[in-house]
Amino acid sequence: MTAIAALPTASARPVPWLRLAWVVWRRYRTMLIATVGALAAIAVYLVVTGEQMRSSYDAATACRPIDSTACMYKFNLFHNSYAQPGLIGAVLMFLPAIIGSFAGAPLLSRELETGTFRYAWTQGAGRMRWATAILVSGAVGVAAIMAAFGALITWRNQPLLDSGFTPRLHQTIFPETGIAAAGWALVGFAVGVLAGLLWRRVVPAIVTAFAACFGLEYLGATYRSHYLTPLTTTSLDQPLKSLTISQWWTKGGVRVSSDQVTSALGAVGAQFNASGGKITSAAAGSSNGAGGTSIDPTQYLIQHGYAQVTSYQPDSRYWPLQWIEFGWLTALALALLGIAFWLLRRRPA
Amino acid sequence: MNVIETRDLGRRYGSKWALRDCTLAIPDGHLVALVGPNGAGKSTLLNLVVGLTPPTEGSVEVLGGATAGSVAALDGIAFVAQDMPLYRHLSVADMLHLTSNLNLRFDTVYARRRLDDLGIDHKQKAGKLSGGQQAQLALTLGLARHPRLLVLDEPTAPLDPVARHDFMATVLTSMADDGVSVVLSSHMLAELERVTDYLVLIGQGRVRLNDEVDDLLATHRLVSAATPDRLSGLDGEVIESSTMGAQTHQLIRLASPDAPLPLDCEARPVGLEELALAYLRESAPALALSAVGATR
Repeated sequence: MTAIAALPTASARPVPWLRLAWVVWRRYRTMLIATVGALAAIAVYLVVTGEQMRSSYDAATACRPIDSTACMYKFNLFHNSYAQPGLIGAVLMFLPAIIGSFAGAPLLSRELETGTFRYAWTQGAGRMRWATAILVSGAVGVAAIMAAFGALITWRNQPLLDSGFTPRLHQTIFPETGIAAAGWALVGFAVGVLAGLLWRRVVPAIVTAFAACFGLEYLGATYRSHYLTPLTTTSLDQPLKSLTISQWWTKGGVRVSSDQVTSALGAVGAQFNASGGKITSAAAGSSNGAGGTSIDPTQYLIQHGYAQVTSYQPDSRYWPLQWIEFGWLTALALALLGIAFWLLRRRPA
Repeated sequence: MNVIETRDLGRRYGSKWALRDCTLAIPDGHLVALVGPNGAGKSTLLNLVVGLTPPTEGSVEVLGGATAGSVAALDGIAFVAQDMPLYRHLSVADMLHLTSNLNLRFDTVYARRRLDDLGIDHKQKAGKLSGGQQAQLALTLGLARHPRLLVLDEPTAPLDPVARHDFMATVLTSMADDGVSVVLSSHMLAELERVTDYLVLIGQGRVRLNDEVDDLLATHRLVSAATPDRLSGLDGEVIESSTMGAQTHQLIRLASPDAPLPLDCEARPVGLEELALAYLRESAPALALSAVGATR
């Protein structure tokens, strides 16, 4: 038997990243192709409807004279066909986080579930280098893919944004466009990776990651409009393309309660809806019928010293808000991945 | 130089110790058999050696001083885990390519030639190979790294006798050609007897034997006498004692190979399997005692 020579120091150098990159590509190219394929199918739908939306919008804007019945009809047609986000809007809203979870959850859990980690972690590269190569390329890849997909959604919705029917700050558009899309993909990925490491099984990891992402989406939808203090206006015309947050009434600069507004409106028989800040004139119809006089309740209130205040986020804040959302999502994703690395280093077989 | 050296090594999972107080020194150049009853901590010890599991207490060094799991240790040790984990959906050629990219050294020529000799189709998916072929592929991936230590965890358990024979033949060839040291855990005592030259026996989570097989065979005797008191003066440790009819049989570990035996008893040498079985049986009832100790 040959005796073992002293440890050669040359062999203590780590395996180059480029080789690990090849490993990642070979291991996950099928998954990558499947994901890109699925997204391509959705992309085709977006391109087709985007083109339809453009021709419908162009037909409406090219129409002359602009206030003719025919042109109003064209605008109505455009609005009725495309302004409602519908099911696809809801799906698109969650897509970055869902794709991120799908990509992240199996990475560690499949190795742990099938036992191949005993192969992978005992090769010369070692587990931390192996995991770094996989997780970094996975995170960057999924973020880049979803950011590109977000750009496509922005392009598709451009007529809606131009027309002012739907602001790009709207919760069905904001999270899946711009860099927020990359942020949501990163968070979904990180949650999936960590869940996979904790569960050690693919399916529970994906389910957990989905649940966590829905919770985070809810948080985002709730607090997004307050990342920056909303602006207020007493003008009845909302600034173009802005996102309305809430409306209320003031008198002499002091906010008045809905009861006070309602009692003030009692004279004209209208009702104030506290939650929406809107005036419903269901009762006004009957008073009109009885008295035969037509009074606009809003004008009535304004004439009596009230002012309607609207809080909103202007369209110009789209990018600042995007960066804020991207910032907290990325910080959260990095923290989760940090925990995953910490656990992975200590994890016994 | 020792390929494996542990000191007071212990690993606990939750509140249960899988291995404790394990102090070992295995010199290089051997085919080491690691035996022990189920749950004795064989896999835990191997996982500690290859760096898959960090120790709870104590230390484990490999290849003459490298910390288990360090870059140098990973580079010099090839591990074939229980049930031969492979990426089932990857082809044999891809597994070769993958392993070559995960290591600094990988002898692709050697690996291809060996697989050709075994008649394994490179385009075949790893998951579609027979059990024996999967074991050979896993072993080839390890050997092509030209490791200095090959660690095999229950490698032959899922194999049929022919595949088992072929597998061990490959291991022995690489030992002769490359001088690689081998540590393997197994239940197949009879089969190990022919190939192993170093025995580590773990019972109750601690090391019972850690010797070259030749030394073990030289110091163990099965002695028989008409009455037990005739054997009381022996210079050695009684490993196992049984009474059959009028005769008392004892497996004795002598203090030295030439220790004197009583004149009026029969003494005969024992085989490795018989020897190991005696130690394994001795460990078994004590397991209950150690469990009581653990809960206390």
